[in-house]
Amino acid sequence: MEKLKIGGLKQSLQLCQFDLRGVHSSKEIASKVSKLLLDQKINMEFLTYYQNKDSYHQLTFCISQDRFSATSKIIQKEGFLPVGWEIKSRKQVGIITIFPHQSAIKIVGIIMVSWTAHSIPIYGIATSLSALSFVTDYPLIGKAIEVIQALFQLPEDHSPLKPEIRYIQSDIVKGD
Amino acid sequence: METIAVYWEPRIKTYGFQRITDLALIEFSYPLSDIKNLGEIFSKDDFKILRPKFIISHVMHHEISFIVCLPLKEGKDFHASLKKASCATPCKYIHPVSILFFHGPHFGDRYGIADATFSSLSKAGMKILASGCSSASVFLVLAQHDIDKAEEILSETFEVAK
Repeated sequence: MEKLKIGGLKQSLQLCQFDLRGVHSSKEIASKVSKLLLDQKINMEFLTYYQNKDSYHQLTFCISQDRFSATSKIIQKEGFLPVGWEIKSRKQVGIITIFPHQSAIKIVGIIMVSWTAHSIPIYGIATSLSALSFVTDYPLIGKAIEVIQALFQLPEDHSPLKPEIRYIQSDIVKGD
Repeated sequence: METIAVYWEPRIKTYGFQRITDLALIEFSYPLSDIKNLGEIFSKDDFKILRPKFIISHVMHHEISFIVCLPLKEGKDFHASLKKASCATPCKYIHPVSILFFHGPHFGDRYGIADATFSSLSKAGMKILASGCSSASVFLVLAQHDIDKAEEILSETFEVAK
């Protein structure tokens, strides 16, 4: 059977993930958490947010792995989250981004089936204009990529899979 | 290699705001233990023709939840197909919704973009139904009647390239 074509594939550096879930609160949770990360000068690599007004709100985000402990401490501090909100965190995750030409739902389905067969978990998915990003266990990211490479047809002139540069925003702010 | 960049824009630059209107938002959850089954449903050729404008998924309480935005007609068909999937929890179907999305020259390299987005909309009392930020872009799903106001607020917060 002919493989589905995809436009490219890349992986992230090592990240960590936080899932926050609870019922409605007076303070917008996405705004509160993004303010906290701004204060800590932390860049969010991935975020999904959904509010189901009848039952729950969920905010999931991934940040650089080296900020796990500091962020975890602040979020778990009493009073930061509204009463009844729960936190789930994962210390080592990575993101695989696929650039599909089309058939995003089918691609999601194929990856769900194949990763499950290889015991590779999915912790989050988000689309952007032309990309599909999957969050999974960082220690399994190599295996996850191998599975994808076997399933889809990649272009011959495919760019490197791994990031070669890590950007860090300095504390020094230089004026114009 | 590690690169330390020193760069800060007084107002975060974007390449402008784009919108997709007349969409349906479908939300449903599925037991994680049956994720393979859901994957098989998604892999069917019936869904190959669907052109989702937005997908996010999260995991909690042994369930995987999906939020998908599709053009109204496709959304209706997708919703009907999911109802037949025995393990899916009751779907939520909201319409019409719109997507506002944007990206900028330094998205992905710097912090503060999510805060600028969520705080400005929250201060203005705008309700975001769903959001996905990945690959250096920000996607917001709002009720259709909120889209003009949301763009107006974000245009004041961000600097739009001319």
